[in-house]
Amino acid sequence: MKTLRVFSMVALILALGLGATSCKQVSDADLQTAAQELLIANPDLAEVTVTVADKVATLTGSVAVDSLKALAETTVAGVKNVKSVVNELEVVPPAPDYTELDATINAALADALKDHAKVTAEVKDGVITLTGEITKKALPILMEKLNALNPVQIVNNLTVK
Amino acid sequence: MTLAEKYRELIDLAKAHQLNVDHSGKVLRVEGTVTSSDVKNQLWAIYQRIDPHFKSNDVILNVKTNVTEGGKVKVVTMESRLNIRKGPGTDQPIVGKAEKGDIITLISKTNDQWWLVRDNDGEEGYCYSQYLEPVQ
Repeated sequence: MKTLRVFSMVALILALGLGATSCKQVSDADLQTAAQELLIANPDLAEVTVTVADKVATLTGSVAVDSLKALAETTVAGVKNVKSVVNELEVVPPAPDYTELDATINAALADALKDHAKVTAEVKDGVITLTGEITKKALPILMEKLNALNPVQIVNNLTVK
Repeated sequence: MTLAEKYRELIDLAKAHQLNVDHSGKVLRVEGTVTSSDVKNQLWAIYQRIDPHFKSNDVILNVKTNVTEGGKVKVVTMESRLNIRKGPGTDQPIVGKAEKGDIITLISKTNDQWWLVRDNDGEEGYCYSQYLEPVQ
């Protein structure tokens, strides 16, 4: 009987103790939600995902520049009860926007190709791709005109006759 | 072979003339303005010697010659005469022609492609700039 009483006392203390701590404790899921909400609030950190395990937050995903990587870390570190932050973010610079360059090149292409009837040119992401045929003599002239349009690259698939 | 090795001669000449040279990417970029068309022609000759049919797709050689407005320019077409047009564009009507080798006056540079010129008959109009080079 006595053993049983001692045992149940211990069990009770344990239960109370555990209960007491779990009341003060915030769950990992709650921390994760709080941290993710803070990140979502900043559009520059939209691609950042946070997971929390044992109060340790881990950041994954990508940001455009180093400073945003640091910002994501301090943002999450500032969440109450987060012990530490593991920053696994990748810095991926955004792809450059070639819309304007493509438009400029396209506008100038008609004149540049005027004397080269058998040449077709396509422009995408600042790259001029040439198809068709051209004489060996006219090729350097065409190339000089196209280089002067300052493209990112010229891909020459022309047949040189 | 790296771009720097492959085009060493081109890069050396470009640097000697203070042109911008960038071979950090997959395309060698040489840009800027030179005072003489000889240098420009030399650069193109070296480029063509290394890559005769311009098939490597790894160079952008965008070098312009420093032509002053009001100065003289020479018509450097292949064999045909150079069209002088009413406006800056190949869709514009032809108002005159300049002979290959003619030396005419550059009035102003409308843009990189089209320059306003006056030929020796006093006719004014626009020519494609690639067919004009400065007279030393």
